[in-house]
Amino acid sequence: MSLVDYTKFRLKPAEEIRGTFKQINRIFILSCAKCYKIFEEENEEEYTHLLDILGEDHKKIVGHAMIDFLCNNFLSEKRILNLDLSNCASVGVISCGLGVQFVAKLLEGKPVYTLADSVQQSGNSTTEIGYHGISLEEEKCAGCSQCYLNLTGGICPITNCAKGLLNGPCGGATDGKCEVNSSFDCAWVKIHERLKKRGEKFTLESVQIRDYSRPSLKLKSDLSLQNQTLRGEGFYGGLHPLEKKGKTADKKIESFPEPKIAVIFLSQHAGRRAEPSVRLGDKVKVGQKIGEADGFISSPIHSSISGKVISIEERIHPAFQRKDLAIIIENDGGNKFDPLIQPYKDFENLPKETLLEIIRERGIVGLGGAMFPTHVKLSPPKKIDTLIVNGCECEPYLNGDNRIMIQHPKEIFVGIRIIQGILGAERVFVAVEDNKLEAITTLNKFLDKSSSVEIVSLKTKYPQGAEKVLIKRILDREVPSKGLPLDVGVVVSNVGTVFAIYQAVVEGIPLFQRVITVSGENLARPGNYWVKIGTPFKDIIEYCFDKKGGGFLEEYELKMGGPIMGISQTSLDSSVIKGTTGFIVLRKPPVKVSEERDCIKCGRCVEVCPMQLYPLYYSLYGRKGEPGKAIKYNVEDCMECRCCESVCSSKISLLSFIKQEKEYACSSNKA
Amino acid sequence: MLVVQIKPEEEILPKISSKRLFIFECLGCQEIYFPAEDVEKFIDNLKEEIVGKASLDYLCNREFVKEYIERYSKQIKKAQILLVFSCGVGVQIVSSLLEDKIVYTCCDTLYLNGFQGLTVQEFNCDQCGECYLNYTGGICPIAQCPKHLLNGPCGGSQNGKCEVDPDIPCVWQQIVDRLAKLGRLDKLEELVTPRNWSVSLISEPPVKRFP
Repeated sequence: MSLVDYTKFRLKPAEEIRGTFKQINRIFILSCAKCYKIFEEENEEEYTHLLDILGEDHKKIVGHAMIDFLCNNFLSEKRILNLDLSNCASVGVISCGLGVQFVAKLLEGKPVYTLADSVQQSGNSTTEIGYHGISLEEEKCAGCSQCYLNLTGGICPITNCAKGLLNGPCGGATDGKCEVNSSFDCAWVKIHERLKKRGEKFTLESVQIRDYSRPSLKLKSDLSLQNQTLRGEGFYGGLHPLEKKGKTADKKIESFPEPKIAVIFLSQHAGRRAEPSVRLGDKVKVGQKIGEADGFISSPIHSSISGKVISIEERIHPAFQRKDLAIIIENDGGNKFDPLIQPYKDFENLPKETLLEIIRERGIVGLGGAMFPTHVKLSPPKKIDTLIVNGCECEPYLNGDNRIMIQHPKEIFVGIRIIQGILGAERVFVAVEDNKLEAITTLNKFLDKSSSVEIVSLKTKYPQGAEKVLIKRILDREVPSKGLPLDVGVVVSNVGTVFAIYQAVVEGIPLFQRVITVSGENLARPGNYWVKIGTPFKDIIEYCFDKKGGGFLEEYELKMGGPIMGISQTSLDSSVIKGTTGFIVLRKPPVKVSEERDCIKCGRCVEVCPMQLYPLYYSLYGRKGEPGKAIKYNVEDCMECRCCESVCSSKISLLSFIKQEKEYACSSNKA
Repeated sequence: MLVVQIKPEEEILPKISSKRLFIFECLGCQEIYFPAEDVEKFIDNLKEEIVGKASLDYLCNREFVKEYIERYSKQIKKAQILLVFSCGVGVQIVSSLLEDKIVYTCCDTLYLNGFQGLTVQEFNCDQCGECYLNYTGGICPIAQCPKHLLNGPCGGSQNGKCEVDPDIPCVWQQIVDRLAKLGRLDKLEELVTPRNWSVSLISEPPVKRFP
């Protein structure tokens, strides 16, 4: 692999720096850690050179900070304003012109000096500035907005010809070398040869005259603004993936056929696994408790069908992707309900403790995917003033929450009332992304205007549904690093969970079924279904997949959850659990890029991380085998939204490094 | 930061009429700006036979493109023309890897301010090779003054707006305001030496630091 060094700046000559600082004392040095380079270590030599030049005179330099991607104004602003600059009279910046201009603007009251010259790494032999794409190749593009490549065999005359000629060579080339500088190839000789290979010929039929007014300043500034707005919308970072929700958005929730055999895992919640409370051969009814919660942070498990326990064995757990204990029940088709399932008539007057007990006993856990036991979440040790009901569903394809909001608005409001009563929260926000118009209108129609509930429509962006992002977005409160929403007085609950709480408290129904979206490619019956917990994935494939498609796991990738955060399934013997939000079938990419490339510090991962982290350092330390170092980059705050991984220009599997480092951080915290 | 716009249909369609096409579509910078929907529409409206389509991110990465070309070699062989939707860098990479194929781009490329960094910004840097920001309070006259003036304003600005384009602010006005705020208006009396174009305009070939 040969990559071009694209470092954008070099230190100014020593005399110039000494001249600038002749009469200036107490300088604070900010240096940029550079972008677009092979990323192997953190340190950059420019600062040490600067010290050499200034003779390490500490009266002059009062401090130094190196900042990654200094031109990223959002993150750099925070970091610079956190620095103690009170002691310095001026600030010297080692970076390209962008960083200097940004710092000068930010610290308007302080003299800001540049210590570097920005250098053009542009043209291949040219008088024209050329820009590179994301990768560090030699090919350049001048961004002239009138691409000539169709006429010139894919070799750009603007960035390759020293004279920028568009209508053939100047005639001065000797032996294929440019007359301006004989170390360059003549662009037009290259063009001629390329066209010959393609069986084409350059003709002067269409004489090209370059329009130097393009791209107009107006167009550029409009586009810049448009991009700035798009990037900054709502919260820092994030992505705008193609939504692909149309396939199932209008499909009413249907009942999925009952499974013949249900595989009910005993670990369907965060915390300790439930203990089986039935034995082999026992007859069970729908809604009967078959697993007992083991401790406070745990949750009971109920049977979703009526029938006989035929085995208690280990199967591949769909979330952990390793074997875990499950109760296998054979359906007798009787669909007999457990007599304990009775509606609570007077639920409005039940005390808080009884309500929590009902929620716990009915096995309610967070249905957004994390499966945190709801009764724990609703018994926070701190005062809660706000409840956010999360109806964002920002993952592509998924529509389960959307359909619940459309079909069961009244129930959701009852559920909200129940939670509000338990928490004593004064304010409630129902957050819905603006691509779910029908849900927003329906909710507004049934909204009791006198209540403290407010429906907020949010501009669509991934990962809006992450609770920390939502809290920042709606309340402008920042959950502290390593903290929880309750630290800022907020509880975030998924709409699905709210509906399940309604069902548990009002109708007495335990959590034995949930809404999932089945969508993706090559499906005969995509849709939104009420699926019994424990329904094997095989049944779903059988029912929904278009069989003409052929071999399954070889050609298709199966994801439990959304296409971005979802967990790839390796076994069709796994089954639906409480945290299954959807079941997405995607064709495997035709080309699997065979190896990871080196990080070229393009900075995309920093640009998209909604938690404002620096994912590139996780891969750096991960590869070096020094996981402990990543802790200072707050790896524990990562919520694994995979934004960084999906934009990585070197295809580095960042998430595996992150998981590794989180584990390390976790174990070292314990120690 | 390179962004693309689709070329007008009349520029492309005559070149490809009744030919067999293979399409390369770059998804790389879409979180920044890529007219994905326009591209989809453009492709849907094509009447020509499409023998295959490769969508990948970062078409500008030669190594990735090589693997895709290998995977789709049969279809590419069948195609008479390769259509590429990407910035100018991607098109050049594809053409250089498939030298005997006719490769057409469907996009015009332009760049956005702040291209060389990561975040799109309101200011720009032309990489002139001799930074003037020390004289101008940290606002670049080269990248932002359409006349690239180094020693003060041209005198044509009105109400702080540029005479070349009244939509953009006069950068020299901004410089004077900034220096006034810093109490360094005396900076304007220093004469800036003429620009050394040899540093900036005839560049060395790119340095290969990682052979």
